[in-house]
Amino acid sequence: MIKRIPLAWLNLTHDRRRFATSLAGVGFAVLLMFMFNGFMNALYDSQLQLLNRFNGEVIIVNRLRTNMFVPRAFARRRLYQARAFEGVQDAYAMYISEVNWKNPENRKSRVVRVIAINPDEPVLNIPEIETHRQALKLPETALMDTKSRVEVGPVEAGVISELADRYIRLVGTFTIGTDFASGNGNLLMSDQNFLRYFADRGPEEDKRSFATVDVGVVKLAPGTNVERMVKTLQEHLPNDVLVMARDGENGFVIRERKYWQENTNIGFVFSLLTSMGFFVGIILVYQILYTDVADHWAEYATLKAMGYKNGYLLGVVMQEAFILSVLGFIPGVLVSQLLYTAAGNATGLFFQMTLERIINLLVATFIMCLVSGAIAVRKVQTTDPADVF
Amino acid sequence: MFKTQPQSTLDSSRDDLAVQIQHLNYFFGVGDLSKQVLFDISLELPKGQIVILTGPSGSGKTTLLTLAGALRRLQDGSLRVLGKELVGLGDRALVNVRRNIGFIFQAHNLFESLTASQNVEMAVELTGKFASKREQSVTMLSALGLADRVDYKPKSLSGGQKQRVAIARALVNHPKLILADEPTAALDKKSGRDVVTYLHNLSRQEGCTVLMVTHDNRILDVADRIINLVDGRLESDSTPNDFVQHKTQEALTEVSADMFIM
Repeated sequence: MIKRIPLAWLNLTHDRRRFATSLAGVGFAVLLMFMFNGFMNALYDSQLQLLNRFNGEVIIVNRLRTNMFVPRAFARRRLYQARAFEGVQDAYAMYISEVNWKNPENRKSRVVRVIAINPDEPVLNIPEIETHRQALKLPETALMDTKSRVEVGPVEAGVISELADRYIRLVGTFTIGTDFASGNGNLLMSDQNFLRYFADRGPEEDKRSFATVDVGVVKLAPGTNVERMVKTLQEHLPNDVLVMARDGENGFVIRERKYWQENTNIGFVFSLLTSMGFFVGIILVYQILYTDVADHWAEYATLKAMGYKNGYLLGVVMQEAFILSVLGFIPGVLVSQLLYTAAGNATGLFFQMTLERIINLLVATFIMCLVSGAIAVRKVQTTDPADVF
Repeated sequence: MFKTQPQSTLDSSRDDLAVQIQHLNYFFGVGDLSKQVLFDISLELPKGQIVILTGPSGSGKTTLLTLAGALRRLQDGSLRVLGKELVGLGDRALVNVRRNIGFIFQAHNLFESLTASQNVEMAVELTGKFASKREQSVTMLSALGLADRVDYKPKSLSGGQKQRVAIARALVNHPKLILADEPTAALDKKSGRDVVTYLHNLSRQEGCTVLMVTHDNRILDVADRIINLVDGRLESDSTPNDFVQHKTQEALTEVSADMFIM
């Protein structure tokens, strides 16, 4: 019994129901911040789901393709040229196009993104390609993304429908998720099948062939310096292509994220909403702390009369703020996690709760409670023990 | 507004006095709105005395009590509490003086969230004696007849018991001066009497000075001395017997149980 009486804790928890309500209030503010922040990050992160599957350290794209949405291809011979460099193990071609998919149930057409690769090459880190390689090599077959929007209809092996007004059969599924460029979902097929559908879609559509490639994925030999290789390739390949590392500060993935950050209002809108959650939290916590101080006004004044200094009482209020922020944060995170999963399933967006994001919001919650505490504390400071008599 | 005498005439502090007040004036408010509530009060409370301060409402008794309790800043006259001059002290120094004084209020002002013992321990913690705080608290509560209520929360205690816990909190650090403001006002006759009896016995044991403001004529007999304050001036300073006789003569026609209610 050498410890101080935990006055802050006892005052907060004395009335169980009020304590639960207080925690729910803080938790709700935390939830608001998590949801808005989550939507913002999900919209950004979703853009990168396909990019993160590229099985290569270096990416080659048309210089005009500033983001995945731009349908610009480059000459396939650039990949052959790249293969000639020492340190380059292989260079894979990826063909991307958008086309109508007919929902087999209600016969309505929806735009989907078709990703085509040579099934014998490890272009994408998607294990299902390996599993269904032989089926993919058959004519008019494809895999479909299970995270496609519900509008595309049933997603399972054996579904028969129409792609670009032609017969197609699903032989399996894989999972990536939707993004801004993917339309209603992703379809994955072999390059041979790609030609079948896109070589000649009619006079108004681009005629696709193996001469042009949308994304080039370059696999380097183990131990090769990625940065130096990128530089070498960029210097020696013609300037119609842009060579970038996949990862890293100036990498392809970051560039894509930056594009959406800088060219949309997502960041502004959701940051605004997150900060609104923050201020709602400040007001809630202030209410809780102020009520506590007001209810115990005579007791706090008595403590002052007994000889407790303002500093002690400030400490009590700040401790209460601290306890509220920590204990309110826990239910906030747990409920947010559930809602992230639910929202991810409903939208096909990629909601992820990383440790960094949790810590950021925990810090925000601390600050939220400390600001409220700092405002509520003024009530204690002005408490005059002479008034209790 | 009249000035006080120079400091030299005030410098006559004595060790046997718990409170020594000389030519004390006190004003509420400042400037044009300032109103004088205490006029040239001079008063000496020897150690170990139980003094009741009485008078009509608005006479300034509570103000005098808060001044003696170092709860207000003072500018005029001289007020020595336990040998320490309070006039001119800043807030921080006043807080340190307060730690040597026990306060008892009309309301018990106990934390509902703390047990009786914890409420008392809050006072012990001020002295830094964390190891023995529980023991000190239990001893003091037992002395007040609350040995079996140590771990009860105020909610499960009666009014008289709560006030006794408040007294335990005021006395646990063995202060040399106790200031009480209507400690029995919220209590029924019997518990009020109990509370005062305990206060009386303990102050005798501890040899501490008690200055108590009260309207409650039922407890006048515990006092060594009764001071009557009217309109901010000392009206009388007498023993309980003289006080009662004096009051009785004033109102001969009205001899009843509440003849001392002022």
